[in-house]
Amino acid sequence: MSEGVKTGDEIPELVKHPTTRQLVQYAGASGDFYEIHYDQDFARRVSLPGVILHGLLKAGYLGQLLTDWIGDRGTLKSFDVSYRGLDVPGKPYRCRGRITKVEGKDVELEVWGEDENGQKTTLGSATVQLS
Amino acid sequence: MAATDVVDRIKAHIGKTQEPVTATVEAGHLKRFAEAIGDPNPRWREEAPPTFLVAIAPTSYHLDEAEQYGKGWLNGGNRFEYLEPVRVGDRITATGKVADVYEKSGSSGNLLFIIFETEYTNQHGRTVARLRGTAIRR
Repeated sequence: MSEGVKTGDEIPELVKHPTTRQLVQYAGASGDFYEIHYDQDFARRVSLPGVILHGLLKAGYLGQLLTDWIGDRGTLKSFDVSYRGLDVPGKPYRCRGRITKVEGKDVELEVWGEDENGQKTTLGSATVQLS
Repeated sequence: MAATDVVDRIKAHIGKTQEPVTATVEAGHLKRFAEAIGDPNPRWREEAPPTFLVAIAPTSYHLDEAEQYGKGWLNGGNRFEYLEPVRVGDRITATGKVADVYEKSGSSGNLLFIIFETEYTNQHGRTVARLRGTAIRR
């Protein structure tokens, strides 16, 4: 049912507080052991400010934003994420989304992640089919 | 070695399918993955959350030869397409290929873009998801 789902509406936001511990957890759980996510010296040697969040961890956060909103009302059909900026642990990461199109049971959304300065470091979109 | 030689050798991988990787979706793995994201939804005890498939069969973008270009990897983006839910006990086969390789000039020098595409099938031979990823060497 697409009742109450309108173009332009924002969905409830999700604020994450990533830590270095969480980056190590994500490295282990995902199998992505690239050192820029847990080795400060390595990260600086490749000209990064220090260890940074995995792009796919940020995608995981935005996935949570979407599935929290969808609940049991429908199914996530596609999800596209583009990483535009670096995010570091110890800073809040704010996940937001907005409905961009509703056509029958098909809903399109834009989603994005913001750093603490409100800079959109991750841009994405999703399609959802309501049941 | 000249950068153009490296780019040519990486481009030679375009269209080539990598060795498929098969793994079973385990409840403990799902739990660790959901905990790493910090997603407490009880649904993920039984079902894979949206980005989980990258973990079950990492489609390693570590195309070794690409490491001769630039000094580090960046993830440019990921696109997931979902056809069927993935649940605990499913046996998933990931088949990846390099879809495209191209160079772009950026503000701090050239970048090499490597586009990977992975198709995930389950134990019934049905495609459950597709993933397109952009890996960048800088």
